[in-house]
Amino acid sequence: MGDRSTGRSWFSVMLPAIPVLAVGLSACGSGAGSSGVPSATPSPLCAGVNTPPGHTNGVASVSGGASSLSGAGGTFVAPMMSIWSAAYNTSDHVQVAYQSVGSGAGIAQVQAATVDFGESDAFMTDSDIAKAKGPVVQTPLVQAPVVVAYNLPEITSGLHFDGETVGKIFAGQITTWNDPAIKKLNPNVNVPNLPIAVVHRSDGSGTTFIFSDFLTKESPTWVSALGGKDKSVGKTIAWPVGIGGKGNEGVSAAVGQNSGGIGYLELSYAVAQNLTYADVKNKAGSFIQPCVKTAANATAGITDYPPDLRIDVVDVSTDADAYPITGLTWALVYQKQTDAAKAAALVNFFNYVLTKGQDVAATADYTPLGADLQKLCVGQLRKITLNGTPVAA
Amino acid sequence: MTDVALPAARFRQRPALRRRRTKNAVMTALLLVAVALALGALAWVLVYVGIRGFSVISPSFLTHNPPGNPAAPGGGFFNGIAGSLIVVGIATGIAVPLGVGAAIYVVEYGRGRLRGAIRFFNDVLIGIPTIVTGAFVYAVWVTRFGFSGFAGSIALAVVMLPLVARTTEEMLRLVPTELREGSLALGATRSQTVLRICLPTALPGIITGGMLAVARAMGETAPLLLTVLGNDLFTQLNPLHRMETLSLQIFSNAVTGYEQAQARGWAGALTLIAIVLILTAVARFFGRRVQVENV
Repeated sequence: MGDRSTGRSWFSVMLPAIPVLAVGLSACGSGAGSSGVPSATPSPLCAGVNTPPGHTNGVASVSGGASSLSGAGGTFVAPMMSIWSAAYNTSDHVQVAYQSVGSGAGIAQVQAATVDFGESDAFMTDSDIAKAKGPVVQTPLVQAPVVVAYNLPEITSGLHFDGETVGKIFAGQITTWNDPAIKKLNPNVNVPNLPIAVVHRSDGSGTTFIFSDFLTKESPTWVSALGGKDKSVGKTIAWPVGIGGKGNEGVSAAVGQNSGGIGYLELSYAVAQNLTYADVKNKAGSFIQPCVKTAANATAGITDYPPDLRIDVVDVSTDADAYPITGLTWALVYQKQTDAAKAAALVNFFNYVLTKGQDVAATADYTPLGADLQKLCVGQLRKITLNGTPVAA
Repeated sequence: MTDVALPAARFRQRPALRRRRTKNAVMTALLLVAVALALGALAWVLVYVGIRGFSVISPSFLTHNPPGNPAAPGGGFFNGIAGSLIVVGIATGIAVPLGVGAAIYVVEYGRGRLRGAIRFFNDVLIGIPTIVTGAFVYAVWVTRFGFSGFAGSIALAVVMLPLVARTTEEMLRLVPTELREGSLALGATRSQTVLRICLPTALPGIITGGMLAVARAMGETAPLLLTVLGNDLFTQLNPLHRMETLSLQIFSNAVTGYEQAQARGWAGALTLIAIVLILTAVARFFGRRVQVENV
């Protein structure tokens, strides 16, 4: 009997090490993910200092706010949100806990009312809101480019891609890197004869929404391969080819680890992982490098925002210097708040994000909202009510 | 000895003996290889995590929270360490009394069908993947009361409960029947026998089992993803709010892709292993001490 209990405890001692080992391996994997290849040399459009917008048009601070807030949503905005919440805690002593669970999960948590606010790079549709516990105020927080990143060790400058070519790659109709379609766009680049490894998101993702929205607008092949426009755009896609990665983190790691890999991710993740990414052809026909400035150009011409700010800005600009795959990311907050302290804290925090928070966006490779849109977003905060009266003065 | 005395018999036995010796050598070698593989894997994990972790870990790692910018160096996992201790502490407070109680019932009082059912369901509970436990707590608790450290404690308590119940049951079974009979013969009641004789005798084993369950819970990540959710940047000591735990923090830092965050993840892994080893060592120490005092 003594021997038996010794055997049992030996096994049990080993048990706790198992999850640690698993985490260790995944960390090892993504560490190897940094290819070390420098990103494309900045195009003149992206060079120079990004001037902080310096907005001062926020709402007056609401007193009696809670000392902590709970949020969850898109991985797209997670690095930015982390910087915001740390800075906001320093200045206003409110702890905003944000977990990057993906836009789909962010919307689901809002519907289940398990968080104080949600976040998504695809706004909640009417049918999404119908599943929620009341009307939802949606306000854009920041914008950013979705880049087409790839892992071709020999190629350190941005390849040129157009929507149709990217659409064919992700539809599985272009399978090698030296395909004539890619060569035609990059006549001066010696593209290797490597199979293409497509990487897409495995979770419900706003980044997927922005990317598939672009493909649907630019690539007839993509639309027909997916079986129509209702199936070719969304937070989840029935991918014809490729492997799935969870979150922007997962996609960037998978692209970094697979020679010949290609995937789509938010710019700051590609920068952090040293991934090379493509210059994408815009509506004006020029190949544009994604960066803070070219993403700003993508929304600069928009003036007719709808009152609920649910607008699709992907690939709408005709500006010659606009990066086409640029998307907004929305905060999702219940309009009819019931807890005075939470309501005040929510208004105060998003007021910070929309004013001072915009000034730090470019330091993390995010693009501040344009002045017109920012003004409307502050207006959205005024719609949040507590027992029928607006929270913001 | 017999070899010398009976050369004829020795001659006859030789082929069979040689076969047995060869078999013995092969089996011993196989067992040694198995031991080497098992210990080698453990040593590999410890050494590798140690090397990666030691280059980052420092006193300030244990007393500071992560920086807001995930790409920035420095900072630490204080919030996760504190959160893990609180969440696991509460889970232990729930699981140990319930588990010990269930085991006492099964061994000392239970009979027939109910006892069989408890043992069966306990075994089933041990086998449930912990992510399912997390999903269950999400459905019944989080959807009503939101994400919180306490929700994580409930999930971990469900993970720990069957382990505690099982080890306690095994230990109580090891208590000689003569001790119980002696106690009852001297006029002690059933409950006095259980509380004064059986439990103290089995205590070292129960403590060890409980500590192993605690160690297991410290490393659990899956059930916490759906219940505690995490609180990356801030120290939150109130279990009714969202908290960070060390396991969640290792996971979220490891998958980011930021080199500095991954370095913090390794240091966190080292911290977690250290905490688990310390807890195990403490359990062994107390287990031995209690045993000596009883004898």
